Amino acid sequence: MANKIKDAAKKFLLLGQCVPTVKQNATKIRVKRLELDENLLMYFKKDDFYYCYDPNKMCKTGDIVLIKALPQKMTKLITHAVEEVVYPFGDVTDPVTGKKVAKERYREDVDRQSELYGKLDSGFDYKKAPPRGWQEGKKDFTSKPTYTRFHVFDENDPYSI
Amino acid sequence: MLKRFTSLIIPNRGVKQLVNIKWVRPDYVPAYKPEKSGDLEGLPKNAEKFAGLDYNLSGELKDAPEAVKQIFSVAHLGRKEYKALVQKELIDRVRRHKYDENTAETRIARITGHIRCLQETMDLFPRNVKTKKVVQELIDKRKKLLKFLRQYDYKKFEWLLEKLNLEYKAHPESYHKLTRRESLRRLTEMHCDQIRNRKLDDYRNLLESQQGPYLQEKLNSLKFIRSEQIELQLPITVNEQDIKKVETQLEEWKSKEAFKQQARQKKKNLLID
Repeated sequence: MANKIKDAAKKFLLLGQCVPTVKQNATKIRVKRLELDENLLMYFKKDDFYYCYDPNKMCKTGDIVLIKALPQKMTKLITHAVEEVVYPFGDVTDPVTGKKVAKERYREDVDRQSELYGKLDSGFDYKKAPPRGWQEGKKDFTSKPTYTRFHVFDENDPYSI
Repeated sequence: MLKRFTSLIIPNRGVKQLVNIKWVRPDYVPAYKPEKSGDLEGLPKNAEKFAGLDYNLSGELKDAPEAVKQIFSVAHLGRKEYKALVQKELIDRVRRHKYDENTAETRIARITGHIRCLQETMDLFPRNVKTKKVVQELIDKRKKLLKFLRQYDYKKFEWLLEKLNLEYKAHPESYHKLTRRESLRRLTEMHCDQIRNRKLDDYRNLLESQQGPYLQEKLNSLKFIRSEQIELQLPITVNEQDIKKVETQLEEWKSKEAFKQQARQKKKNLLID
């Protein structure tokens, strides 16, 4: 009975985090769970990975997303589809006041502080900043998994370390 | 003696190479090198000619003779002054306000300046173990700070990479020593994928080349059926639309085929050249 409920819940909606992958039209989602060890009567963390159909690349690495099981398996790997992005990565909004947050402080407070000290042009301006992803593949190599360099190819892959 | 004898009887065990692949082990690159640490930019050029930080504001030094300027230049004052100058230049790129010293971006800028100075030292004295350790620790610390910044403020993280000319690569799943077995396995996998894809492409090309004649035949027979039905005054089952659809498909196929032919010709020409 319990297993049935668990399976049904798995098919309904799942909350997970997007992790780097090389797939073109799908994203890899990590769902964190706790698993009961019946001998020790203790819970241990367990990660499940799901490949979700996402042709428009709605979610980027690190986003917290809701995924839903597809009525039929699309391929051998792709079993789910991305429903919506709940929390975009690195762009935190305070749920109570609806203000943007950077670390433990509101962004407007940070701006206010620098205004009081005398703001300089060299500082970062949130209003002028382009949306996330403009450095992807140029200086920010986080969208695909990195690996140890294992061969000397003609072209150097920036994702190899 | 025994070892030599047993090796004669028992063949050496290892990875049996079934595919003809030449594996080249990548050269060892020390971790302090800019290509590993992610620094895309070196130290500022001709920085040694600048006056030290404390003498920068002096009006008398501006009109002073060349010899005096040289005495107060960074080259003469020492490495410490040079480092301070480099750090200040980097911090000024990202400073929020005049007194901004300890925010994430200024910390990363300061560490970056220090790292770039030490990288030059390491190039001069590669056996300096103390410096090597310090650089490694600083690089790790900077990566950690960048990782945190990425977590709580992605836009600022990207802006900082651009400003300081840094590269950020995520941590791999595991840091391990490279082995011959793993490398050969991955190369073999790539080789197999290549073969599979080539075969699939060939089959796709074959099927696509058969599409044109089939469509032509279909068009002719549809036209024939329609004309016969009209002649014999039977109920008409083939629309004008159906025929048009097939015609457009055929035209599309022809344009695609012409494009492919051009590409093939170009390849041939390249090979001949």
